[in-house]
Amino acid sequence: MAENSGTDPAVETNTEENAAASATIIKVTVKTPKDKEEIAIAEDSSVAQFKEEISKRFKANQDQLVLIFAGKILKDGDTLGQHGIKDGLTVHLVIKTAQKTSGGGSSQTSASSGPGPSQGNTDGSANSSPAGNLGTPQGSAPSLTPTQPPNMLAGFGDLSGLANLGMGSANFMELQQQMQRQLMSNPEMLSQIMENPLVQSMMSNPDLMRQMIVANPQMQQLMERNPEISHMLNNPELMRQTMELARNPAMMQEMMRNQDRALSNLESIPGGYNALRRMYTDIQEPMFSAAREQFGNNPFSALGGNTDNSGAQPSRIENREPLPNPWGPPDTAAATTTSGTATTTSSTTSSTTPSVSNPLGISSSSLGNGMFNSPGMQSLMQQISENPQLMQNMLSAPYMRTMMQSLAQNPDIASQVARPSFPKQQLMQQMLQMFAGGNASTPTPEVRFQQQLEQLSAMGFINREANLQALIATGSFGDEIWKSYSAISSRLPL
Amino acid sequence: MDQHDSTFGVQLFIYDLSRGMARQLSPIMLGEHTSIVVYGEEFFYGGAGISSCPPGGTMLGPPDTVVELGNTEVTEEIFMDYLSSLGETTYSGDKYRLFEHNCNTFTNEVAQFLTGNKIPSYITDLPSEVLSTPFGQVLRPILDSIHIAPPGGNVISSQNNHS
Repeated sequence: MAENSGTDPAVETNTEENAAASATIIKVTVKTPKDKEEIAIAEDSSVAQFKEEISKRFKANQDQLVLIFAGKILKDGDTLGQHGIKDGLTVHLVIKTAQKTSGGGSSQTSASSGPGPSQGNTDGSANSSPAGNLGTPQGSAPSLTPTQPPNMLAGFGDLSGLANLGMGSANFMELQQQMQRQLMSNPEMLSQIMENPLVQSMMSNPDLMRQMIVANPQMQQLMERNPEISHMLNNPELMRQTMELARNPAMMQEMMRNQDRALSNLESIPGGYNALRRMYTDIQEPMFSAAREQFGNNPFSALGGNTDNSGAQPSRIENREPLPNPWGPPDTAAATTTSGTATTTSSTTSSTTPSVSNPLGISSSSLGNGMFNSPGMQSLMQQISENPQLMQNMLSAPYMRTMMQSLAQNPDIASQVARPSFPKQQLMQQMLQMFAGGNASTPTPEVRFQQQLEQLSAMGFINREANLQALIATGSFGDEIWKSYSAISSRLPL
Repeated sequence: MDQHDSTFGVQLFIYDLSRGMARQLSPIMLGEHTSIVVYGEEFFYGGAGISSCPPGGTMLGPPDTVVELGNTEVTEEIFMDYLSSLGETTYSGDKYRLFEHNCNTFTNEVAQFLTGNKIPSYITDLPSEVLSTPFGQVLRPILDSIHIAPPGGNVISSQNNHS
């Protein structure tokens, strides 16, 4: 039982202890913040002896060792048995860094919580002063008053406190990203946030919004690539309209539909369809390759990236304005189109776009360049593509469907979707199936062309059937492209 | 046995995150945020590392539950040394993992250090519960990249400011 022969490999050299110990050797785990070691020692040793052992193992001075067990500091004169230290138990060790005062001093200067150089009382005050800089956020958690105007997250449930927290601006961005991620993962939260009157009031402040948007490094990148975006950001009128839209998800959807209607109207002009088509291919090529290089092989990101590229659309839309459009509504629609696409853009760029209906497509693309590039998101994407069922589940959520439809209706996105060069073929096919499988919610041709039909009949083409035929023949972009996509993809070896 | 030199009361603050404002802050937190209160200060671990603030001083407001963990003889000085070491090694900000290595992990460890007692098991068991569901598994990559750091605290660092 008593292995005090000294030849036992489990016992470290200490013959002293072996001699003193007529009791058993116990193995006590000594745990420091950095590591832990198992130390064998006689059960009835004194703490001093134990410390001696420890100092050898941890290569520290015995004086520096502070042993804690069950909340008690083990004094040299005590014995292990006194404290109930038995075999297999863990004792905590703190190795005092000899320079206590300097440590305390430096940590005080480094704006940390002030580990009291003068232990105790000053800590309270030291803490309250840096904390006091936070002003409101700390004291009244539910209060949502932005006490620091330059702080951009002021509206978002008082996360502004963080920015001032001696954490530095680097962490602020981290936090913003973190928040985005949280927002993305929980659309409810987003709508909650959007409904927050404070957020709304903040969003009515174009300067603030612009500041916020511009501050994001990803946005800055985007802006470099697409100067139209900065253009748009600098246009207060546009910003205001955009924010209006961002605040109101229903309105945004309305916008998108208007835009689509406008586009379909244009298709109806003789030759207009071709013009449009040309325009799309001309402009979308570079946009798409730009998007792709930004987002890598991630189909979702390309989806999102499209709406990003619609940021370049203002130039395109403006080009379209001179195109004559005899049908009444498109005049206003053109105007709304401009803002519509711009909306799409800015709403893409605004991290706070209410994404109850567009959780992944629109809002994520903006600052979500970062989001999609985050390893977490990418691995999620991978998982999704590997597990089609998961995708189905995700997509069957009601808001996803709405989003998909909005996306589908936007011919831009539809054409992007249809690009055969998508790496993740399987994923895309599934998505298209979702589009197709949108059963009752996918409009039939009649419904889709409702407005065009009305206009045509107003113009005097009363043969509804012929009109329908004509409309279907020219079709909406989406249809055409989808068809060619499936044709091509079935031939592709991928 | 109660009071040797001077003992310090140690408390565990539990914030139930499934209600109120806390929910808006950290919808993913799935459960409880905990912190240790000792020496008149609250200590917790988050994406920014170990932080401290006056008790109840984080964004989350006052705790929902306070558990008395007991008393400790450990002086504040020693504790701060301990925390600094922890903050440099296992509890630096980047080591934060929402599921496996989070504020509750920290609280548990500190509680044991100070008092020898663990925190209530329902808190520490939560992550593994969630992870064992397929839902949790799917969300894991996202959640792994989320760092929760309730605002309102100051980061503890030993030599230099590394937050």
